[in-house]
Amino acid sequence: MDNLQHLVLEGEIQSNDEVSPGHRRLVVAVSGRHEEPVPGQFAMVRVARGLDPLLARPLSFYGYRRRGGTGYMEFLYRVTGRGTRILSERCEGEELVLTGPLGRGFDIPPGARRIGLVAGGMGVAPLTYLARYCRERASGSIRITTYVGARTAAALVGLEELSALSSEVVVTTDDGTYGTCGVVTAALEADMGDLCRDGVIFFACGPRAMMARLAECLIPARVPCQVSLEERMACGLGACLGCAVAVRRGDGETYASVCKDGPVFPLAEVVWEGK
Amino acid sequence: MTADPDLSVTIAGLRLKNPVMTASGTFGYGEEYAGFVDLGRLGAVVVKGLSLEPRSGNPPPRIIETPCGMLNAVGLQNIGVRSFVAEKLPRLRDRGVTVVANVYGESVDEYRRVCEILSTALGVAALEINVSCPNVSKGGLAFGSDPETAAQVTAKVREVTDLTLIVKLTPNVTDIAVIARAVEEAGADAVSLINTLTGMSIDVETKKPHLYNVTGGLSGPAIRPVALRMVYQAVRAVRIPVIGIGGICTANDALEFLIAGARAVQVGTANFIDPKASIRVLDGIADYLRRHAIGALRDLIGTLRTPGE
Repeated sequence: MDNLQHLVLEGEIQSNDEVSPGHRRLVVAVSGRHEEPVPGQFAMVRVARGLDPLLARPLSFYGYRRRGGTGYMEFLYRVTGRGTRILSERCEGEELVLTGPLGRGFDIPPGARRIGLVAGGMGVAPLTYLARYCRERASGSIRITTYVGARTAAALVGLEELSALSSEVVVTTDDGTYGTCGVVTAALEADMGDLCRDGVIFFACGPRAMMARLAECLIPARVPCQVSLEERMACGLGACLGCAVAVRRGDGETYASVCKDGPVFPLAEVVWEGK
Repeated sequence: MTADPDLSVTIAGLRLKNPVMTASGTFGYGEEYAGFVDLGRLGAVVVKGLSLEPRSGNPPPRIIETPCGMLNAVGLQNIGVRSFVAEKLPRLRDRGVTVVANVYGESVDEYRRVCEILSTALGVAALEINVSCPNVSKGGLAFGSDPETAAQVTAKVREVTDLTLIVKLTPNVTDIAVIARAVEEAGADAVSLINTLTGMSIDVETKKPHLYNVTGGLSGPAIRPVALRMVYQAVRAVRIPVIGIGGICTANDALEFLIAGARAVQVGTANFIDPKASIRVLDGIADYLRRHAIGALRDLIGTLRTPGE
């Protein structure tokens, strides 16, 4: 097996600014040998130096830039619990230990001309990175149609940047405080005819309920879609087996590890029923 | 003192190059960590618990963080003993890893059959019998919390193996000394303890348990003082070697167990937080011995000075 010691990184916080109430963008500078993340990959971030909180937090990459020998790893996170609250109090110049990039990211076909992004809540983070990654690398024109859903206007984050990278954007909120009132999958269903004609490939990340509805919409229409899943995990390396997700393999169902077998899976492979 | 201290320890007939092992269930089948740790440097790698047939484990959610610890209810998801022997073991052998295979059964017969298969496989140094898993409905804890059944499993396994036989004990008992003595008399070469403490956590917003299994096994630094106390008691109860497990994150933690009388230690949950934790513990023990001018680790083991001694 390859040496992976360069995945354990001692970075320095470059910035950790609030982008909207309860949401922050974290930039960590890492010098020395490291790997460039693929969109959809994540890092296990040690929010504190000691053993409390004990576990590192999995955060998907929001961006990555390299200047000279230094890499700048970007994350977008919502302050939801004790771990992210402690992270939100960390300051510029402080050391931050993380392990990454980890997991299997999005598999972007080199010739893709039209892609659809479906983001729910914090799902905008990996999909924004994906959109930028595609824009920077596409040899010809690429049309990016983006659907963003949130509970309410206040929960929308990173919309400006994602909109700038997209060819068109549809925004929905459950309560109608921004964009169209309703769920994001309903907006997508209305556009399905147009999208399918262009041989679109979808990438999605969001709450489980959103992705389950996406499965009902896209799988019967045989539209390819990759989803990035989120699950509690302790190690991020496939050892703790904490982040199990039920998937179809052959004729049966089994558990895959979100951290190592994913976090990106084909939409049709995940068992959405139940839970 | 500049010479490298002698870190080797002997567990019954098994000589380990040093006392640092990895705990079952926290290190996969070893290869998950091969990119981070030179597995051949470790005293031993204890692999994920193996059953006769593959097990898919419990439905998620399977883990939840707790103060200075975590609860897990993975439910012994594993590839089965035959796949382990065919696919994983040769790779560990090629790396020169001292392999301890952890064994789980739902019946005495299953324990015996898994041990038979492992005893004829090339490259298994020792067996660790898990009579202490709290997260499965059958077997596991049911065998380990009663001295008679724990002894029965030990005796039946003893009949089919000449490998070093370690019995991993649960802390979820009234008196650890009674269980430890029972498995010693039944033929165990060593005991390892503690497995996880049974615990629980509830999401008050939804009023649901955080784990699908409702209860789970508590691990991490939160349990270390309990583990140390039980190891201390076990060391006094039996003549066979005791292997200390429970929340060991640093060399200092490991040294506490060794001074209390543990012949070796296992690093568990710390591997999740820092993939290089086991090697850091190993290097730290060597530093300590140099600093205290102790030439051989065996001269440190059991040197606890209690008041009045």
